[in-house]
Amino acid sequence: MKLAVFLPELLRHLFKKPATVDYPFKKLAVPVNFRGTPYLNPERCIVCRACERDCPAEAIEISSVNEAEKRFKMIIHNDRCVHCAQCVDSCPTTPKAMLMDSLFELADDDRHKLKKDWVYVRAVLKPKAAAPATPPPAAEPKA
Amino acid sequence: MAVVRTLLYLVVYPGLLFLFVYSTFCEWFDRKVYARLQNRMGPTHTGRFGLLQPIADFFKLMAKEDIVPEAADKRLFNILPVVGLAVVATAGLLLPVWNFDLANPGPTSFSGDIIVVLYLLSLPTLILFLAAWASTNPFATIGGARVLTMFFGYEVPLFLAVLGPAILADSWRLAEIAAFYQAKPLLLLTNLLGFIVAVIAVQAKLERTPFDIPHAETEIVGGTFTEYSGKKLALFRLTFDIELVISSGLLAAVFLGGFPGGAVVGFLHFVVKTLFVIFLLSLLRALTSRIRIDQVVSFAWKYLAPLAVLQLLVTILLKGLLS
Amino acid sequence: MSFQIPIGPQHPALKEPISLRMTVEGEVITDVDMRLGYNHRGMEKLAEEKSWLQNIYVTERICGICSHSHATCYVQGVEKLMELAPPRRGLYIRYLVAELERVHSHLLWLGVAGHEAGFDSFFMYTWRDREIVMDLLEMISGNRVHYAINTLGGVRRDIDEGQKAKILEGVATLRKRSEYYFYIGANEPSFVARIAGVGYLSKESAIALCAVGPVARASGVARDVRKDDPCAVYGELDFELATADTCDVLGRVVVRVKELLESYKLIEQMVKGLPAGDIAVKAPRKAKPGEVVSRYEAPRGENIHYIKANGTDKPERLKVRAPTLANYPATVEMLRKGFIADIPLIFAAIDPCICCAERTVTLVAAGSGEESVVRMSDLRRRAIARHQNAPVKRNAVWPL
Repeated sequence: MKLAVFLPELLRHLFKKPATVDYPFKKLAVPVNFRGTPYLNPERCIVCRACERDCPAEAIEISSVNEAEKRFKMIIHNDRCVHCAQCVDSCPTTPKAMLMDSLFELADDDRHKLKKDWVYVRAVLKPKAAAPATPPPAAEPKA
Repeated sequence: MAVVRTLLYLVVYPGLLFLFVYSTFCEWFDRKVYARLQNRMGPTHTGRFGLLQPIADFFKLMAKEDIVPEAADKRLFNILPVVGLAVVATAGLLLPVWNFDLANPGPTSFSGDIIVVLYLLSLPTLILFLAAWASTNPFATIGGARVLTMFFGYEVPLFLAVLGPAILADSWRLAEIAAFYQAKPLLLLTNLLGFIVAVIAVQAKLERTPFDIPHAETEIVGGTFTEYSGKKLALFRLTFDIELVISSGLLAAVFLGGFPGGAVVGFLHFVVKTLFVIFLLSLLRALTSRIRIDQVVSFAWKYLAPLAVLQLLVTILLKGLLS
Repeated sequence: MSFQIPIGPQHPALKEPISLRMTVEGEVITDVDMRLGYNHRGMEKLAEEKSWLQNIYVTERICGICSHSHATCYVQGVEKLMELAPPRRGLYIRYLVAELERVHSHLLWLGVAGHEAGFDSFFMYTWRDREIVMDLLEMISGNRVHYAINTLGGVRRDIDEGQKAKILEGVATLRKRSEYYFYIGANEPSFVARIAGVGYLSKESAIALCAVGPVARASGVARDVRKDDPCAVYGELDFELATADTCDVLGRVVVRVKELLESYKLIEQMVKGLPAGDIAVKAPRKAKPGEVVSRYEAPRGENIHYIKANGTDKPERLKVRAPTLANYPATVEMLRKGFIADIPLIFAAIDPCICCAERTVTLVAAGSGEESVVRMSDLRRRAIARHQNAPVKRNAVWPL
């Protein structure tokens, strides 16, 4: 046992720059492939509803707006979303219709404001890009 | 005219207003140093470099709801914070920085004022105990018991250590003690041991880590302050801030050669020396972990008190040698 | 004079709600009464409503600190049920994340121990360096807390060469820092005075009270699922079991720091020996009827998941036995005869994860320390009976 064993380390840091970041004014960058907020690329979506089925938080809601025109509406409830990105993994299209961006500051004063929705026409499956109806929970491709 | 002067003396400088401003500055200094030692930022945004943060905290607490528990002794509970503040602010008047004139001592500088300051600094401890007892909360009660237990540990070493230099200077007046060491600065070195003991004892008196046992938050929540909120808590915190200033001022006057050079230079001496003592206190705070109450008492009587007595012995021998 | 002080459900020493009622005489604890159930979220019932795949994310959210432990434990079990053999690269990445999580959990615990003892500088420095491993986890998985790297039949994300280099670099820094913290923790007199000899748990009582994880290992019980029942990866790797025989909080600090150093060794081996190949195989949506018990050494001790399948795409039953629950009886034993000042340290020394453990109601008789587990139906019956016998009084004073 020694006296004042922490002293050199403390004094060494006295005139050093703090390790902490002045957060709301300075921000650290998130890494690539960060799981932020999910969003939809409406022109690629084939409405297979795999994301809706696999979402553990029931945050994705797809409803039909007009059957004849094949118009659909997707709502992502960001207030329920747990940011697991399973929807991205489940998405069978290439390139993916469901993607994650790097936004993480989502706070709002009303949970309904966190809803995001898209009204779009179902994309036509090209024969080449055909994917299995039940998508494997395969690894996400490296970006 | 004399009435106005006295009022200004009590309320503005060096009375409440000055002590308020300076003690909040000292709290900022303490927090900033503590944060930097831990590689953090500390107060940053309120005012330049966060200088106004302690004042903002004070006013925020003043604006908060003030709750008095049903079971508390209400009169005691309400009056104690004010008494505590009054006591330490009174002690502030006795520091030799505002009455440096040896030949013409005002009413606040007299033979024996060092004893009065020491006792005035002891009173907040008792007030804290009473406050804890009056609030009847189990955590506060335990905190109050701890306050008193610790008090018996550090008080004797503190008195012994602070009175050592007074014996050597052959005076019980702070201004004269300071003047004695200003004339013979080398003699200050002989009091080094006493200074160390006094810094540790002051740390205990101010209830800062490693002696923050009476309000150890992870053990007994707010400890003595558990039931205090709003204005009363703000006053208690201000009391501790002012006590920090007065204690470090006392140590500076006794161990660091006082504040020579008239009103302006003397004041600069005061600022630099108190900040030095506060820096040492912050360093001690960052360096250690909180110890247990039984460890405090045994540490105080096994190490601090013998060291203080040793210092006293050195002082007495030295005094015989000098005369 | 003996009186009761309530530690919790809301208390600065507790990061999560639990109620410890201490009967104290002066500063000495004479009796402990522990009450759980403040954080019951119905996770197990929820799991019965979700598909096998969705349940990975549900189990992951049982706990925030050892999120990967629960998910891995669950996935191991489901893979056994579905007779899946994950590719070796996938397994390596899965347990690499597991070891990184152990590093972050133990560093977090070191800081908490410092904070509970009032050693805030230690707390700040350990948590500053914990950011290194948090950043590594974020880089690998895309999130700091819920890594969500597991999937049925493997993992979801691969590791590339740049990431490998960063992991090795981070681990090298962390090893140096951990050794330094060990030196500080074992040498700072005021800290050692607080942790040495505190919270004594003898080897016999550790075994008798079924302590798990670092608590058991600090009492000299060499018990670790990674050694006793190694899954594919741990059998191939070289690491030692960290134990201590001081049986006190100091021993638990030592065990955790030793485990940190072992984890760095494991991480380096796994990164360097990462096999090539796929990271996942395709999993079916349904599992054949059957049941399985899955064990996993979480940072806090042995984590057990019992899974029962009934042939559908949802589990019929998922039972979680979190390590903290197994350590509660030992905690009661450790707290008795201690000081008030030691409560936060002793309680923190089991690294309690209260929300992990909130699935049963355990009653500890205040007089004898006897424990009994009550079923929900039983509790309900009792509550109804009590309600009928005791009409609600106005201005009722609740006993402390």
